[in-house]
Amino acid sequence: MSITFEEIDLIKQTADLIRKDCIWMSTRAGTGHLGPALSLAEILATLYKSVLKVDPQNPKWPDRDRLILSKGHGCLALYSILSQMGFFERKLLGDFCTKYDTMLPGHPEIKLPGVEANTGSLGHGIALGVGMALAARMDKKEYRVFVITGDGELQEGSNWEAAMTAAYYGLDNLIVIVDRNMLQLGDFTENITRLEPLAEKWKSFGWGVEIIDGHDIEKLLTAFNKIPFVKGQPSVIIANTVKGKGLKIAENKVDWHYKVLSYEQYEELKNEMSLEELYHE
Amino acid sequence: MSELKKSTRTSFAEAIVELGEKNPDVVTVAADSASRYGDFIKKFPERSFNVGIAEQTMVSVAAGMALCGKIPVVTSYANFLAFRAAEQIRVDVAGSKLNVKLIGTDTGFSSAWLGFTHLALEDMGVIRAIPGIVIIDPADAAEAYVATKAIFEYNGPVYMRLRGRKEEPVIFYKKKDFKIGKGEIIKEGKDALIIACGGAVYDSLKASEILQSRGIKVTLVNMPTVRPLDEDLLLELTSSVDNIITVEHHNTTGGLGSAVAEFLTEKRPQIRQLRLGVKNRFGTAGSEDMLKKGFGLDGETIAISIENFLKNRTK
Repeated sequence: MSITFEEIDLIKQTADLIRKDCIWMSTRAGTGHLGPALSLAEILATLYKSVLKVDPQNPKWPDRDRLILSKGHGCLALYSILSQMGFFERKLLGDFCTKYDTMLPGHPEIKLPGVEANTGSLGHGIALGVGMALAARMDKKEYRVFVITGDGELQEGSNWEAAMTAAYYGLDNLIVIVDRNMLQLGDFTENITRLEPLAEKWKSFGWGVEIIDGHDIEKLLTAFNKIPFVKGQPSVIIANTVKGKGLKIAENKVDWHYKVLSYEQYEELKNEMSLEELYHE
Repeated sequence: MSELKKSTRTSFAEAIVELGEKNPDVVTVAADSASRYGDFIKKFPERSFNVGIAEQTMVSVAAGMALCGKIPVVTSYANFLAFRAAEQIRVDVAGSKLNVKLIGTDTGFSSAWLGFTHLALEDMGVIRAIPGIVIIDPADAAEAYVATKAIFEYNGPVYMRLRGRKEEPVIFYKKKDFKIGKGEIIKEGKDALIIACGGAVYDSLKASEILQSRGIKVTLVNMPTVRPLDEDLLLELTSSVDNIITVEHHNTTGGLGSAVAEFLTEKRPQIRQLRLGVKNRFGTAGSEDMLKKGFGLDGETIAISIENFLKNRTK
């Protein structure tokens, strides 16, 4: 498949809007995991605009590709892309953490169209994905299952149980994308519990591995086009990203895991970043 | 009671094969626990999965399948299912009200010599703390068979307790159907009201015979569904008595005794309850008979406890 400039440009615009939406929602709500959402913008934009077979008008279409955001705290970005795709109305984004029993809570739930699994507790997504990929195989369906994990999340042992299971069953319809932004809640991952050599870990668990720049749309597209990297093996993309990407004061900063802009900071950045009005009439 | 002896695990394995034949969506997921599915594995290899010794993964994989329309069943030693995979049961299964059947085995005293790591005496407490999961503790192999069929008729998460491989006396050998949420009176008497579940039904029956020989006639109710409780039956039975006794092979915190007490304290606060079960202790190693005696849950000790309770009540 050839990649066109138009395609890249469309994905870039989508990613830009993801960032603006994340900043807008979290500032209005005064809460949210902004840094971990911003590192996901190009990954999610590329997946939804060019890779995933989904039908926003029919979110439960049985043959759809599944995407599980295992790092559920990155949901600001997921809510934005789902609204951009038309899974629900754009104005619903204003409900993020502002209304009792909202459809858009601080971690995603399946009650929201387009969300495939409840996530928020780390280390669940890959095993859920294994179950879905096995169901596809049993039903002789072509759909694929994509799971996005954090990098710190990989400290949870359950991921590696599921990684072994996926490799044992040769699930080449399962793809994990690791959002390798090098940071977790408390510090850089390597200062807490070292993950490197990460690619070698996955390889030794029987996965096909690619390491790419997770903000480079062309590289993302190229990688997704090559799946499965090894026939008969599950695939993992280690996407090197920057936590807080696109919001200068947040980039690569440990304290921006769970921090948002103040109204004043938002107003100061509004023109420079072409952000929406915080409140509409 | 008949001379028939059978294990609850054997009944479950028979039922799951029949369910697999009837419904192609029934899928088994094991955590190196595949033997509990009996012939299902041989008959339906394409619907049998084994994730290895990884209970958390077993539950999440089953949840992923359920999200794609399958009806998965998972099984392991009850402690490793209910405790180790508690969070997967809570978030992945119960949180999405998924149609996953969770089968905890070797419950109560049935893991005997394996000791406290394996003796499952708190598993219902864990599961009862999670909203929305049906909990069933069948009394014998006959009930385990019909209950297995019934839980697959129900669309939602279920936790069912089984015991070990050892054959046990069959009490309800004529039992033909099972209704989730329904208890049944198996003996009637005016002096006391006993509610029991799981393996404790057999010992309560023994106790009732001993009591009868001493002139105390009891009503004995088998209450296999610990959630939802048969509230109608409890209200009916407690309308004319001032006491109730619950018996279970489980900690008195979190199981049948708790469930009954929680209900009655709101609806019939005047009723005194004796909760027989394991009192805030871990299990230990022993034969099943030794363990029942050790924890005061053999027929004779149950009878004595009830006699004392009734005597103290009249003072």
